[in-house]
Amino acid sequence: MKEKILTFDNVKLIYHTVRGETVATEGLSFEISEGEFVAMIGPSGCGKSTLLSLAAGLLKPSEGTVTRRGSVGYMLQRDELFPWRTIEKNILLPLEIQKKLTSEAREEAKKLAEKYGLKEFLGSYPAELSGGMRQRAALIRTLAPGPDILLLDEPFSALDYQTRLNVTQDVAGIIRREHKTALLITHDISEAISLADRVIVLTGRPARVAHTHSLGFGEDDPLKRRENRQFSVWFELLWKELNA
Amino acid sequence: MKHDPKNFSGEHLLWQKKRKRRLAIVWSLRVGLLLCFLLFWELSTRLGWADPFLVSSPSRIGATLASLYAEGTLFYHIGVTLLETVIGFAAAVALGYAIALLLWWSDLLRRVLEPYIVVLNALPKIAMGPLIIIWCGTGSKAIVFMTILVGIIVVIMHSLSAFLETDENKLLLLRSMGAGKRQILTKLVIPSSRAAFISMLKVAVGMSWIGSIMGEYIVSRAGLGYLIVYGGQVFKLDLVMTATVVLCALAAAMYFLVVLLEKILVKNTKN
Repeated sequence: MKEKILTFDNVKLIYHTVRGETVATEGLSFEISEGEFVAMIGPSGCGKSTLLSLAAGLLKPSEGTVTRRGSVGYMLQRDELFPWRTIEKNILLPLEIQKKLTSEAREEAKKLAEKYGLKEFLGSYPAELSGGMRQRAALIRTLAPGPDILLLDEPFSALDYQTRLNVTQDVAGIIRREHKTALLITHDISEAISLADRVIVLTGRPARVAHTHSLGFGEDDPLKRRENRQFSVWFELLWKELNA
Repeated sequence: MKHDPKNFSGEHLLWQKKRKRRLAIVWSLRVGLLLCFLLFWELSTRLGWADPFLVSSPSRIGATLASLYAEGTLFYHIGVTLLETVIGFAAAVALGYAIALLLWWSDLLRRVLEPYIVVLNALPKIAMGPLIIIWCGTGSKAIVFMTILVGIIVVIMHSLSAFLETDENKLLLLRSMGAGKRQILTKLVIPSSRAAFISMLKVAVGMSWIGSIMGEYIVSRAGLGYLIVYGGQVFKLDLVMTATVVLCALAAAMYFLVVLLEKILVKNTKN
C-alpha cells in the first residue's frame, strides 16, 4: 500500500462576498497516493482553482479536513517567471523563499536545469525565451525545492496548440522521470486522458466527486496515448459524464 | 537575428540609413525651432515691434546673466533654490515611499486613511502658506516644508497604487512557496513596481519645483523664485525672464537625471 500524500475528507468551502455566500464545494472526498498522477476535470465554474488553493493550504476549509504530507509545488496557467530575474534566479526563487539556498541546493537545482536543456538559458531573462522554454523553466522552478506533490492549474492552457502538445509531452516526461506525485486540474478532457493515471470527474457547484476512473493505459507517453484506441473511448465517456 | 554589421543585407543597411536620417531631421528641427524663436524674439524688440521693457529679449537676458555672474550672485541664487528643491524632493520621495509601504502593509490603516489622503491631495497647498510661515519661520526651512507638502501626497498615491497592482497570480505563487509578507514585499512588490517608481519620480520632480518656487514666492530673501518676485515688484522684467530661463534649464536637467536613472534601473520589467 502506497503512502497517501493528499487526502480531502468531507471538505466544504464557503466563499463570502458582499452580496452573499457561495458554497464552492461540499462533501468533497478523495485521496492521492505517492507517485500517482491524478487529473481532475469538471464543468467550468466549479471552482477548480479553489480546490488547488485548499490542497496547497492557502485556504482553510469551512468544514472537513485536508491532510497533506510534505510540501507542494504550484504551477499556474502562465509561467509567472519574474521578468527582472534571470532564469537561474527564477529557478532558485522557491529555495530562496524557503531559506534553503545552500550551495548544494543551488548546484542541485542547476543540475536539474541542465538535465532538461536549460543550461544555455540560465543567464537569460524570461523575455528572451520561447513560450515552451519558459513553461519548462517554470516546471524546473517548481521541482527545485523537491516538492512531495505538484499542483498543476491548467499549466498548458495559455499556450498555442502546437506548443501545447510539445510542452505537455515535455512536462509529462519530466514529471514521470522524476517520479513526482501530481494533481492536474484542467477543463481539457484530452489533456487529462493523455497525462493521468486516474481521472476524477467533478460535479458543478458545489463541487463533489462524480466519478473516478483508473485509465490503465500501461503507457505514459501523452502522444502515444492519443493514438491509442482506448483514448477516444475514454474521451466519449468523460464527455458524457461532464455534461450529465 | 543578425547583429553583426558585416552580414547585414542591403535592405537592412538602407533601413538603418533612413532611420538615422529621420532622427537627424527631428533633431535639427528641434534646435531650429528654438533658434527661430530666439531670433524672432530678438528681432522683434530691435525692430520696435515689441517693447523690450515688457517682453525682454535674448540679448538682454544674456546681459542680465552676465551682470548677475559679475556680481557673484548668480550661483548663489541658483544654489539656494536648487538645494531647497533637492532636499524637499528627496524628503518627499523618501517619506512618501515609506508611508506607501506602510499603507500597503496594513490593510486597515490604508482603508482608514484613504479619504484623508484624497482630501489632502485635492487641497491647494498654497493655502497653507500663512501657517507654514508661522510654524517654520521665513527661512529656507519654510520653503523645504512647502516642497515636501506639495510632493508627498503624489508620491504616496503613485507608489501605493503601483504596490496594489501587483500581479495576483505571482502573489499566489509566492504564497504557495511559503513566502511571508516581508518576502512578498522584497521579492515581488518592490521589484515589480520599479517602472512605476520612475514615473513617480518624474512627477515628483515637477512637483518639487512647484513647491520650492511657490515657497519662495511666499517667503524668501534669495533664490530664483525670489528673483522673479523681486523683478516683478520693481518692474525689472529682464530679471524675471532670466530667472525663468535658468529655472527651465535646471528643471530639465533634473528630469534628465531621472531619465538616466530609468535607463539603469528599469531593465527587464516586461514579460
